[in-house]
Amino acid sequence: MKVVPLRSDADVGSEPLPGAAPALAMIHIDHVSQRFQTAGRQSHLALSDINLAIDEGAFVSILGPSGCGKSTLLYIVGGFVAPSEGAARIKGKAITRPGPDRGPVFQEFALFPWKNVLGNVMYGLRQQGVKKPEAEARSRKLLEMVGLKGYENFYPKELSGGMKQRVAIARTLAYNPAVLLMDEPFGALDAHTRTRLQNDLLTIWERDRKTVLFVTHSVEEAVFLSDQVVVMTRSPGSIKVVVDIDLPRPRKRAELLLDPRYQKYVVDIEKLIDDTGEDGIHV
Amino acid sequence: MITPGALLSKSAPLLACIGLLCAWQATSLLLNTDSFPTAWESLRAVPAILTDKESLVNIGASLRRMVIGFGLAILFAIPLGLMMGRIKAVASFFNPLLMVIYPVPKAALMPIIMLWLGVGDVSKTLVIFLGVSLPVIYHSFQGGRAVEEKMLWSAAAMGMSAPMRMWRIVLPAALPEILTGCRTGLVLALITMVTSEMIARQSGAGNILFNSLDMAQYDTTFAMIMIIGAMGITLDAAFEKMRSSLVRWSKPQHDLPLSFS
Repeated sequence: MKVVPLRSDADVGSEPLPGAAPALAMIHIDHVSQRFQTAGRQSHLALSDINLAIDEGAFVSILGPSGCGKSTLLYIVGGFVAPSEGAARIKGKAITRPGPDRGPVFQEFALFPWKNVLGNVMYGLRQQGVKKPEAEARSRKLLEMVGLKGYENFYPKELSGGMKQRVAIARTLAYNPAVLLMDEPFGALDAHTRTRLQNDLLTIWERDRKTVLFVTHSVEEAVFLSDQVVVMTRSPGSIKVVVDIDLPRPRKRAELLLDPRYQKYVVDIEKLIDDTGEDGIHV
Repeated sequence: MITPGALLSKSAPLLACIGLLCAWQATSLLLNTDSFPTAWESLRAVPAILTDKESLVNIGASLRRMVIGFGLAILFAIPLGLMMGRIKAVASFFNPLLMVIYPVPKAALMPIIMLWLGVGDVSKTLVIFLGVSLPVIYHSFQGGRAVEEKMLWSAAAMGMSAPMRMWRIVLPAALPEILTGCRTGLVLALITMVTSEMIARQSGAGNILFNSLDMAQYDTTFAMIMIIGAMGITLDAAFEKMRSSLVRWSKPQHDLPLSFS
Protein backbone atom coordinates (compact mmCIF):
# COMPACT_ATOMS: atom_id res chain seq x y z
CA MET A 1 0.00 0.00 0.00
CA LYS A 2 1.20 3.42 -0.85
CA VAL A 3 0.52 5.94 1.86
CA VAL A 4 1.21 9.33 0.45
CA PRO A 5 2.04 12.17 2.77
CA LEU A 6 -0.14 15.22 2.60
CA ARG A 7 0.59 17.42 -0.28
CA SER A 8 1.74 20.76 0.95
CA ASP A 9 0.54 24.12 -0.27
CA ALA A 10 3.60 24.48 -2.42
CA ASP A 11 2.44 21.56 -4.59
CA VAL A 12 -0.97 23.05 -5.05
CA GLY A 13 0.05 26.60 -5.80
CA SER A 14 -1.19 28.65 -2.88
CA GLU A 15 -2.17 31.81 -4.76
CA PRO A 16 -3.12 30.95 -8.31
CA LEU A 17 -2.11 33.43 -10.96
CA PRO A 18 -4.39 34.12 -13.91
CA GLY A 19 -3.56 31.64 -16.59
CA ALA A 20 -2.00 29.22 -14.16
CA ALA A 21 -5.04 26.96 -14.47
CA PRO A 22 -3.45 23.59 -15.35
CA ALA A 23 -1.66 23.29 -12.02
CA LEU A 24 -4.79 24.19 -10.13
CA ALA A 25 -6.61 21.73 -7.91
CA MET A 26 -10.40 21.54 -8.25
CA ILE A 27 -10.86 21.90 -4.51
CA HIS A 28 -8.22 23.30 -2.22
CA ILE A 29 -8.74 23.16 1.53
CA ASP A 30 -6.23 25.55 3.00
CA HIS A 31 -5.45 25.48 6.76
CA VAL A 32 -9.09 25.04 7.68
CA SER A 33 -10.03 24.84 11.36
CA GLN A 34 -13.49 24.83 12.85
CA ARG A 35 -14.55 25.72 16.37
CA PHE A 36 -18.02 25.34 17.81
CA GLN A 37 -19.29 27.12 20.88
CA THR A 38 -20.58 24.58 23.34
CA ALA A 39 -23.04 25.11 26.17
CA GLY A 40 -20.37 25.56 28.86
CA ARG A 41 -18.88 28.67 27.24
CA GLN A 42 -16.05 26.50 26.03
CA SER A 43 -15.26 26.20 22.40
CA HIS A 44 -14.87 22.77 20.93
CA LEU A 45 -12.30 22.28 18.20
CA ALA A 46 -13.98 20.11 15.56
CA LEU A 47 -11.44 20.44 12.76
CA SER A 48 -7.80 21.22 13.22
CA ASP A 49 -5.69 22.68 10.43
CA ILE A 50 -6.96 20.67 7.46
CA ASN A 51 -5.00 20.88 4.22
CA LEU A 52 -6.16 18.99 1.21
CA ALA A 53 -6.05 19.32 -2.54
CA ILE A 54 -8.53 17.43 -4.70
CA ASP A 55 -7.89 17.08 -8.41
CA GLU A 56 -10.51 17.55 -11.05
CA GLY A 57 -12.31 14.31 -11.83
CA ALA A 58 -11.11 12.54 -8.69
CA PHE A 59 -13.36 10.45 -6.49
CA VAL A 60 -12.18 11.19 -2.96
CA SER A 61 -13.66 9.67 0.17
CA ILE A 62 -13.29 11.07 3.66
CA LEU A 63 -13.23 8.36 6.28
CA GLY A 64 -12.99 8.65 10.01
CA PRO A 65 -14.55 7.81 13.36
CA SER A 66 -17.88 9.46 14.07
CA GLY A 67 -17.56 12.96 15.45
CA CYS A 68 -14.29 13.63 13.64
CA GLY A 69 -15.79 16.52 11.72
CA LYS A 70 -15.78 14.88 8.30
CA SER A 71 -19.29 16.10 7.49
CA THR A 72 -18.39 19.58 8.73
CA LEU A 73 -15.49 19.61 6.28
CA LEU A 74 -17.90 18.77 3.49
CA TYR A 75 -20.30 21.54 4.59
CA ILE A 76 -17.40 24.01 4.50
CA VAL A 77 -16.65 23.04 0.90
CA GLY A 78 -20.37 23.35 0.18
CA GLY A 79 -20.37 26.87 1.60
CA PHE A 80 -23.10 25.93 4.10
CA VAL A 81 -20.78 26.47 7.06
CA ALA A 82 -18.03 29.08 7.27
CA PRO A 83 -14.71 27.87 8.66
CA SER A 84 -13.36 29.53 11.81
CA GLU A 85 -9.91 29.73 10.28
CA GLY A 86 -8.46 29.14 6.84
CA ALA A 87 -10.34 28.91 3.56
CA ALA A 88 -11.68 26.44 1.07
CA ARG A 89 -11.33 27.23 -2.61
CA ILE A 90 -12.85 25.91 -5.77
CA LYS A 91 -10.74 26.42 -8.90
CA GLY A 92 -8.79 28.99 -6.90
CA LYS A 93 -11.85 31.00 -5.87
CA ALA A 94 -12.60 31.31 -2.16
CA ILE A 95 -15.85 29.61 -1.15
CA THR A 96 -18.12 32.00 0.71
CA ARG A 97 -21.59 30.65 0.00
CA PRO A 98 -23.35 27.66 -1.60
CA GLY A 99 -23.50 27.63 -5.37
CA PRO A 100 -24.56 25.42 -8.26
CA ASP A 101 -20.96 24.41 -8.96
CA ARG A 102 -21.12 22.24 -5.82
CA GLY A 103 -24.08 19.87 -5.63
CA PRO A 104 -24.84 18.27 -2.26
CA VAL A 105 -26.43 14.87 -1.65
CA PHE A 106 -27.40 14.31 1.98
CA GLN A 107 -28.01 11.20 4.05
CA GLU A 108 -31.45 12.65 4.88
CA PHE A 109 -32.31 12.99 1.14
CA ALA A 110 -33.75 16.49 1.80
CA LEU A 111 -36.22 16.20 -1.08
CA PHE A 112 -38.94 18.82 -1.45
CA PRO A 113 -41.97 16.83 -0.25
CA TRP A 114 -44.52 19.10 -1.94
CA LYS A 115 -43.01 18.41 -5.36
CA ASN A 116 -43.36 15.10 -7.16
CA VAL A 117 -40.30 13.19 -8.39
CA LEU A 118 -40.13 15.04 -11.70
CA GLY A 119 -40.69 18.38 -9.97
CA ASN A 120 -37.83 17.70 -7.58
CA VAL A 121 -35.39 16.83 -10.36
CA MET A 122 -36.48 19.82 -12.45
CA TYR A 123 -36.22 22.24 -9.55
CA GLY A 124 -32.55 23.15 -9.91
CA LEU A 125 -32.80 23.52 -13.67
CA ARG A 126 -35.81 25.82 -13.41
CA GLN A 127 -33.94 27.79 -10.75
CA GLN A 128 -31.10 28.20 -13.24
CA GLY A 129 -33.57 29.64 -15.73
CA VAL A 130 -33.82 26.61 -18.03
CA LYS A 131 -37.12 26.64 -19.93
CA LYS A 132 -39.72 24.16 -18.78
CA PRO A 133 -39.82 21.78 -21.78
CA GLU A 134 -36.05 21.46 -21.82
CA ALA A 135 -35.80 21.05 -18.03
CA GLU A 136 -38.48 18.37 -18.19
CA ALA A 137 -36.79 16.47 -21.02
CA ARG A 138 -33.43 16.51 -19.25
CA SER A 139 -34.99 15.47 -15.96
CA ARG A 140 -36.83 12.56 -17.53
CA LYS A 141 -33.59 11.35 -19.06
CA LEU A 142 -31.83 11.55 -15.69
CA LEU A 143 -34.63 9.69 -13.98
CA GLU A 144 -34.29 6.95 -16.53
CA MET A 145 -30.56 6.84 -15.83
CA VAL A 146 -31.07 6.40 -12.08
CA GLY A 147 -33.68 3.71 -12.73
CA LEU A 148 -36.81 5.66 -11.82
CA LYS A 149 -38.63 5.73 -15.14
CA GLY A 150 -42.34 5.51 -14.44
CA TYR A 151 -42.10 7.19 -11.03
CA GLU A 152 -42.21 10.78 -12.31
CA ASN A 153 -45.55 11.56 -10.69
CA PHE A 154 -44.88 9.94 -7.34
CA TYR A 155 -44.44 12.10 -4.25
CA PRO A 156 -41.41 11.57 -1.97
CA LYS A 157 -43.59 10.13 0.82
CA GLU A 158 -44.60 7.31 -1.52
CA LEU A 159 -41.01 6.20 -2.18
CA SER A 160 -38.63 3.89 -0.32
CA GLY A 161 -35.37 5.22 1.10
CA GLY A 162 -33.31 3.91 -1.80
CA MET A 163 -35.64 5.50 -4.34
CA LYS A 164 -35.59 8.80 -2.48
CA GLN A 165 -31.82 8.85 -2.62
CA ARG A 166 -31.92 8.08 -6.35
CA VAL A 167 -34.21 11.10 -6.79
CA ALA A 168 -31.86 13.23 -4.70
CA ILE A 169 -28.86 12.17 -6.80
CA ALA A 170 -30.76 12.89 -10.02
CA ARG A 171 -31.89 16.25 -8.63
CA THR A 172 -28.29 17.25 -7.96
CA LEU A 173 -26.88 15.84 -11.22
CA ALA A 174 -29.59 17.75 -13.10
CA TYR A 175 -27.97 21.17 -12.70
CA ASN A 176 -24.61 19.68 -13.58
CA PRO A 177 -22.39 20.78 -10.70
CA ALA A 178 -18.64 20.53 -11.19
CA VAL A 179 -18.31 18.84 -7.80
CA LEU A 180 -20.59 16.36 -6.07
CA LEU A 181 -20.60 16.61 -2.28
CA MET A 182 -21.98 13.40 -0.84
CA ASP A 183 -22.59 13.31 2.91
CA GLU A 184 -22.96 9.66 3.95
CA PRO A 185 -25.51 9.32 1.15
CA PHE A 186 -26.10 5.60 1.66
CA GLY A 187 -25.84 5.65 5.46
CA ALA A 188 -29.58 5.36 6.06
CA LEU A 189 -30.16 2.50 3.60
CA ASP A 190 -30.27 -1.24 4.15
CA ALA A 191 -27.26 -3.31 3.04
CA HIS A 192 -28.81 -4.59 -0.17
CA THR A 193 -30.04 -1.19 -1.36
CA ARG A 194 -26.73 0.32 -0.37
CA THR A 195 -24.77 -2.12 -2.54
CA ARG A 196 -27.02 -1.47 -5.52
CA LEU A 197 -26.70 2.28 -5.17
CA GLN A 198 -22.92 2.06 -4.85
CA ASN A 199 -22.78 0.07 -8.10
CA ASP A 200 -25.09 2.52 -9.85
CA LEU A 201 -23.20 5.55 -8.57
CA LEU A 202 -19.96 4.08 -9.86
CA THR A 203 -21.48 3.41 -13.28
CA ILE A 204 -22.80 6.96 -13.49
CA TRP A 205 -19.53 8.44 -12.25
CA GLU A 206 -17.37 6.43 -14.62
CA ARG A 207 -19.39 7.91 -17.47
CA ASP A 208 -18.72 11.60 -16.82
CA ARG A 209 -16.04 11.59 -14.07
CA LYS A 210 -17.19 14.48 -11.96
CA THR A 211 -15.11 15.47 -8.98
CA VAL A 212 -16.68 13.74 -5.98
CA LEU A 213 -16.11 14.36 -2.30
CA PHE A 214 -17.72 11.46 -0.49
CA VAL A 215 -18.07 11.24 3.31
CA THR A 216 -18.61 7.78 4.74
CA HIS A 217 -17.77 5.64 7.72
CA SER A 218 -17.70 2.41 5.70
CA VAL A 219 -14.14 1.40 4.75
CA GLU A 220 -15.35 -1.04 2.07
CA GLU A 221 -17.51 1.63 0.49
CA ALA A 222 -14.65 4.12 0.46
CA VAL A 223 -12.16 1.67 -1.09
CA PHE A 224 -14.66 0.35 -3.61
CA LEU A 225 -15.57 3.79 -4.94
CA SER A 226 -12.56 6.04 -4.53
CA ASP A 227 -9.33 7.11 -6.14
CA GLN A 228 -8.15 8.44 -2.81
CA VAL A 229 -9.25 7.82 0.76
CA VAL A 230 -8.62 10.55 3.30
CA VAL A 231 -8.36 9.03 6.79
CA MET A 232 -9.13 11.44 9.61
CA THR A 233 -8.25 11.25 13.28
CA ARG A 234 -10.68 11.41 16.14
CA SER A 235 -11.76 14.79 17.50
CA PRO A 236 -10.30 17.31 16.90
CA GLY A 237 -10.41 16.05 13.35
CA SER A 238 -7.25 16.31 11.36
CA ILE A 239 -5.98 14.37 8.38
CA LYS A 240 -3.98 11.32 9.31
CA VAL A 241 -3.10 10.02 5.86
CA VAL A 242 -4.31 10.11 2.31
CA VAL A 243 -4.33 6.64 0.77
CA ASP A 244 -4.18 6.32 -3.01
CA ILE A 245 -6.43 3.46 -4.09
CA ASP A 246 -4.63 1.96 -7.03
CA LEU A 247 -7.28 -0.37 -8.39
CA PRO A 248 -8.21 -0.62 -12.06
CA ARG A 249 -11.38 0.94 -13.44
CA PRO A 250 -14.05 0.27 -14.45
CA ARG A 251 -14.47 -1.60 -11.20
CA LYS A 252 -16.77 -4.59 -10.86
CA ARG A 253 -17.84 -5.53 -7.37
CA ALA A 254 -17.68 -9.28 -7.94
CA GLU A 255 -14.10 -9.09 -9.18
CA LEU A 256 -12.99 -6.50 -6.67
CA LEU A 257 -14.17 -8.36 -3.58
CA LEU A 258 -11.96 -11.28 -4.57
CA ASP A 259 -9.00 -9.06 -5.41
CA PRO A 260 -6.26 -9.36 -2.72
CA ARG A 261 -5.23 -5.75 -3.33
CA TYR A 262 -8.75 -4.56 -2.49
CA GLN A 263 -8.77 -6.73 0.62
CA LYS A 264 -5.40 -5.37 1.73
CA TYR A 265 -6.58 -1.78 1.33
CA VAL A 266 -9.61 -2.51 3.49
CA VAL A 267 -7.62 -4.24 6.22
CA ASP A 268 -4.85 -1.62 6.25
CA ILE A 269 -7.27 1.31 6.41
CA GLU A 270 -9.27 -0.36 9.17
CA LYS A 271 -6.02 -0.65 11.14
CA LEU A 272 -5.31 3.03 10.55
CA ILE A 273 -8.71 3.95 11.90
CA ASP A 274 -8.21 1.73 14.96
CA ASP A 275 -4.97 3.57 15.61
CA THR A 276 -6.71 6.90 15.43
CA GLY A 277 -9.11 5.56 18.02
CA GLU A 278 -6.26 4.89 20.40
CA ASP A 279 -4.84 8.31 19.72
CA GLY A 280 -8.14 9.70 20.82
CA ILE A 281 -7.96 7.96 24.16
CA HIS A 282 -4.41 9.04 24.91
CA VAL A 283 -4.71 12.65 23.89
CA MET B 1 -70.28 -0.89 -2.46
CA ILE B 2 -70.59 0.60 1.03
CA THR B 3 -69.95 -1.75 3.93
CA PRO B 4 -72.16 -1.46 7.03
CA GLY B 5 -69.17 -0.28 9.06
CA ALA B 6 -68.38 2.54 6.63
CA LEU B 7 -72.04 3.50 6.51
CA LEU B 8 -72.14 3.71 10.30
CA SER B 9 -69.02 5.86 10.54
CA LYS B 10 -70.32 8.13 7.76
CA SER B 11 -73.66 8.63 9.43
CA ALA B 12 -72.23 8.94 12.95
CA PRO B 13 -72.12 12.78 12.96
CA LEU B 14 -75.76 12.91 11.86
CA LEU B 15 -76.75 10.39 14.52
CA ALA B 16 -74.90 12.45 17.14
CA CYS B 17 -76.85 15.57 16.13
CA ILE B 18 -80.17 13.75 16.27
CA GLY B 19 -79.21 12.28 19.64
CA LEU B 20 -78.36 15.71 21.01
CA LEU B 21 -81.66 17.17 19.79
CA CYS B 22 -83.60 14.30 21.37
CA ALA B 23 -81.84 14.73 24.71
CA TRP B 24 -82.49 18.46 24.52
CA GLN B 25 -86.15 17.90 23.75
CA ALA B 26 -86.55 15.47 26.64
CA THR B 27 -84.71 17.67 29.16
CA SER B 28 -86.65 20.74 28.13
CA LEU B 29 -90.00 18.94 28.46
CA LEU B 30 -88.94 17.65 31.84
CA LEU B 31 -87.80 21.01 33.21
CA ASN B 32 -90.70 22.88 31.61
CA THR B 33 -89.41 26.43 32.11
CA ASP B 34 -89.82 29.40 29.76
CA SER B 35 -86.07 30.02 29.59
CA PHE B 36 -85.38 26.62 28.11
CA PRO B 37 -87.48 26.09 24.98
CA THR B 38 -87.68 22.64 23.43
CA ALA B 39 -85.50 21.66 20.49
CA TRP B 40 -88.53 21.61 18.26
CA GLU B 41 -89.63 25.17 19.19
CA SER B 42 -86.11 26.42 18.59
CA LEU B 43 -85.78 24.64 15.27
CA ARG B 44 -89.07 26.16 14.16
CA ALA B 45 -87.64 29.64 14.84
CA VAL B 46 -84.72 29.06 12.47
CA PRO B 47 -86.58 29.65 9.18
CA ALA B 48 -88.08 32.84 10.57
CA ILE B 49 -84.60 34.24 11.16
CA LEU B 50 -83.24 33.06 7.85
CA THR B 51 -86.09 34.60 5.87
CA ASP B 52 -86.03 37.91 7.73
CA LYS B 53 -84.17 40.48 5.66
CA GLU B 54 -82.82 42.43 8.61
CA SER B 55 -81.47 39.28 10.26
CA LEU B 56 -79.75 38.29 7.06
CA VAL B 57 -78.15 41.72 6.80
CA ASN B 58 -76.96 41.30 10.37
CA ILE B 59 -75.50 37.85 9.77
CA GLY B 60 -73.93 39.07 6.55
CA ALA B 61 -72.26 41.94 8.41
CA SER B 62 -70.88 39.47 10.94
CA LEU B 63 -69.49 37.21 8.26
CA ARG B 64 -67.95 40.16 6.45
CA ARG B 65 -66.08 41.28 9.57
CA MET B 66 -65.02 37.74 10.23
CA VAL B 67 -63.66 37.21 6.73
CA ILE B 68 -61.78 40.54 6.78
CA GLY B 69 -60.39 39.95 10.29
CA PHE B 70 -59.35 36.39 9.45
CA GLY B 71 -57.84 37.36 6.08
CA LEU B 72 -55.81 40.25 7.49
CA ALA B 73 -54.68 38.08 10.40
CA ILE B 74 -53.26 35.30 8.25
CA LEU B 75 -51.59 37.81 5.92
CA PHE B 76 -49.87 39.28 8.95
CA ALA B 77 -49.34 36.19 11.08
CA ILE B 78 -47.93 33.70 8.57
CA PRO B 79 -44.95 35.83 7.45
CA LEU B 80 -44.26 36.90 11.04
CA GLY B 81 -44.43 33.35 12.38
CA LEU B 82 -42.21 31.97 9.63
CA MET B 83 -39.63 34.71 10.15
CA MET B 84 -39.66 33.99 13.88
CA GLY B 85 -39.10 30.35 13.05
CA ARG B 86 -36.10 31.03 10.82
CA ILE B 87 -34.48 34.16 12.25
CA LYS B 88 -33.43 33.94 15.87
CA ALA B 89 -33.39 37.68 16.49
CA VAL B 90 -36.98 38.04 15.30
CA ALA B 91 -38.08 35.21 17.59
CA SER B 92 -36.27 36.68 20.61
CA PHE B 93 -37.95 40.03 19.97
CA PHE B 94 -41.51 38.84 19.49
CA ASN B 95 -41.67 35.82 21.79
CA PRO B 96 -41.94 37.75 25.08
CA LEU B 97 -44.53 40.09 23.57
CA LEU B 98 -46.65 37.18 22.43
CA MET B 99 -46.26 35.47 25.80
CA VAL B 100 -47.85 38.53 27.41
CA ILE B 101 -50.70 38.76 24.92
CA TYR B 102 -51.44 35.03 24.68
CA PRO B 103 -53.37 34.47 27.95
CA VAL B 104 -55.41 37.69 27.64
CA PRO B 105 -58.91 36.92 26.33
CA LYS B 106 -59.07 39.06 23.22
CA ALA B 107 -62.68 40.01 23.85
CA ALA B 108 -61.58 41.49 27.18
CA LEU B 109 -59.70 44.12 25.19
CA MET B 110 -62.92 45.08 23.45
CA PRO B 111 -63.94 47.89 25.88
CA ILE B 112 -60.54 49.59 25.52
CA ILE B 113 -60.55 49.21 21.78
CA MET B 114 -64.08 50.63 21.66
CA LEU B 115 -62.86 53.60 23.64
CA TRP B 116 -60.24 54.30 20.97
CA LEU B 117 -61.93 53.21 17.79
CA GLY B 118 -65.64 53.39 18.54
CA VAL B 119 -68.23 50.64 18.42
CA GLY B 120 -68.17 50.15 14.66
CA ASP B 121 -66.71 47.61 12.31
CA VAL B 122 -63.09 48.59 12.94
CA SER B 123 -63.11 47.61 16.62
CA LYS B 124 -64.84 44.30 16.01
CA THR B 125 -62.64 43.40 13.09
CA LEU B 126 -59.57 44.26 15.15
CA VAL B 127 -60.63 41.92 17.94
CA ILE B 128 -61.17 39.12 15.43
CA PHE B 129 -57.78 39.91 13.92
CA LEU B 130 -56.11 39.60 17.34
CA GLY B 131 -57.92 36.38 18.15
CA VAL B 132 -56.89 34.72 14.89
CA SER B 133 -53.33 36.04 14.77
CA LEU B 134 -51.95 34.28 17.83
CA PRO B 135 -52.59 30.64 16.95
CA VAL B 136 -51.55 31.28 13.34
CA ILE B 137 -48.30 32.94 14.47
CA TYR B 138 -47.63 30.10 16.88
CA HIS B 139 -48.18 27.33 14.34
CA SER B 140 -46.28 29.18 11.59
CA PHE B 141 -43.42 29.64 14.05
CA GLN B 142 -43.37 25.93 14.86
CA GLY B 143 -43.66 25.01 11.18
CA GLY B 144 -40.92 27.40 10.13
CA ARG B 145 -38.60 26.21 12.86
CA ALA B 146 -39.07 22.55 11.90
CA VAL B 147 -38.04 23.01 8.25
CA GLU B 148 -35.17 20.66 7.59
CA GLU B 149 -31.94 22.63 7.25
CA LYS B 150 -30.58 20.31 4.55
CA MET B 151 -33.62 21.14 2.41
CA LEU B 152 -32.69 24.81 2.59
CA TRP B 153 -29.08 23.97 1.83
CA SER B 154 -30.16 21.98 -1.23
CA ALA B 155 -32.08 25.01 -2.47
CA ALA B 156 -29.15 27.32 -1.68
CA ALA B 157 -26.85 25.09 -3.72
CA MET B 158 -29.21 25.57 -6.67
CA GLY B 159 -28.51 29.26 -6.39
CA MET B 160 -31.63 30.34 -4.53
CA SER B 161 -31.26 33.50 -2.44
CA ALA B 162 -32.30 33.65 1.23
CA PRO B 163 -35.49 35.71 0.69
CA MET B 164 -36.52 33.38 -2.13
CA ARG B 165 -35.91 30.35 0.09
CA MET B 166 -38.31 31.86 2.63
CA TRP B 167 -41.01 32.09 0.00
CA ARG B 168 -40.36 28.97 -2.04
CA ILE B 169 -39.01 26.48 0.52
CA VAL B 170 -39.97 27.52 4.06
CA LEU B 171 -43.56 28.46 3.18
CA PRO B 172 -44.48 25.21 1.37
CA ALA B 173 -42.51 23.04 3.79
CA ALA B 174 -44.32 24.60 6.76
CA LEU B 175 -47.71 24.68 5.04
CA PRO B 176 -49.24 21.65 6.83
CA GLU B 177 -48.47 23.19 10.21
CA ILE B 178 -49.57 26.68 9.07
CA LEU B 179 -52.94 25.35 7.91
CA THR B 180 -53.45 23.58 11.23
CA GLY B 181 -53.02 27.00 12.84
CA CYS B 182 -55.41 28.59 10.36
CA ARG B 183 -58.04 26.00 11.16
CA THR B 184 -57.84 26.82 14.85
CA GLY B 185 -57.85 30.50 13.86
CA LEU B 186 -61.03 30.10 11.87
CA VAL B 187 -62.93 28.72 14.85
CA LEU B 188 -61.51 31.47 17.05
CA ALA B 189 -62.64 34.04 14.48
CA LEU B 190 -66.20 32.83 14.91
CA ILE B 191 -65.93 32.91 18.69
CA THR B 192 -64.44 36.42 18.83
CA MET B 193 -66.96 37.57 16.25
CA VAL B 194 -69.87 36.63 18.54
CA THR B 195 -68.25 37.92 21.73
CA SER B 196 -67.34 41.24 20.11
CA GLU B 197 -70.98 41.68 19.15
CA MET B 198 -72.03 40.78 22.64
CA ILE B 199 -70.00 43.70 23.98
CA ALA B 200 -70.57 46.20 21.19
CA ARG B 201 -74.20 45.66 20.25
CA GLN B 202 -75.13 47.24 17.00
CA SER B 203 -75.42 44.65 14.32
CA GLY B 204 -74.47 41.08 13.64
CA ALA B 205 -75.38 37.55 14.54
CA GLY B 206 -74.34 38.10 18.15
CA ASN B 207 -76.61 41.14 18.30
CA ILE B 208 -79.66 39.09 17.29
CA LEU B 209 -78.74 36.48 19.88
CA PHE B 210 -78.32 38.84 22.81
CA ASN B 211 -81.24 41.09 21.90
CA SER B 212 -83.57 38.11 21.81
CA LEU B 213 -82.20 37.07 25.19
CA ASP B 214 -82.96 40.52 26.59
CA MET B 215 -86.46 40.34 25.22
CA ALA B 216 -87.03 36.84 26.55
CA GLN B 217 -87.53 35.39 23.06
CA TYR B 218 -85.76 32.26 24.06
CA ASP B 219 -86.68 30.23 21.00
CA THR B 220 -84.91 32.84 18.84
CA THR B 221 -81.90 32.75 21.18
CA PHE B 222 -81.52 29.02 20.84
CA ALA B 223 -82.23 29.12 17.12
CA MET B 224 -79.44 31.66 16.76
CA ILE B 225 -77.07 29.42 18.75
CA MET B 226 -77.90 26.62 16.32
CA ILE B 227 -77.30 28.89 13.31
CA ILE B 228 -73.92 30.00 14.65
CA GLY B 229 -73.02 26.38 15.38
CA ALA B 230 -74.01 25.36 11.87
CA MET B 231 -71.89 28.19 10.46
CA GLY B 232 -68.94 26.92 12.47
CA ILE B 233 -69.31 23.35 11.27
CA THR B 234 -69.79 24.43 7.66
CA LEU B 235 -66.78 26.76 7.68
CA ASP B 236 -64.61 24.17 9.38
CA ALA B 237 -65.61 21.43 6.97
CA ALA B 238 -64.99 23.68 3.96
CA PHE B 239 -61.62 24.72 5.30
CA GLU B 240 -60.65 21.13 6.05
CA LYS B 241 -61.52 20.15 2.50
CA MET B 242 -59.27 22.89 1.14
CA ARG B 243 -56.51 22.05 3.62
CA SER B 244 -56.36 18.37 2.80
CA SER B 245 -56.28 19.06 -0.93
CA LEU B 246 -53.46 21.58 -0.49
CA VAL B 247 -51.24 19.26 1.55
CA ARG B 248 -52.04 15.93 -0.07
CA TRP B 249 -48.27 15.46 -0.50
CA SER B 250 -47.74 15.59 3.23
CA LYS B 251 -47.55 12.55 5.48
CA PRO B 252 -51.08 11.61 6.53
CA GLN B 253 -52.01 13.45 9.70
CA HIS B 254 -54.61 12.37 12.18
CA ASP B 255 -57.86 14.07 11.50
CA LEU B 256 -57.98 16.96 13.91
CA PRO B 257 -60.81 17.21 16.35
CA LEU B 258 -62.76 20.44 16.19
CA SER B 259 -60.38 22.77 17.91
CA PHE B 260 -62.64 24.81 20.16
CA SER B 261 -59.86 26.25 22.23
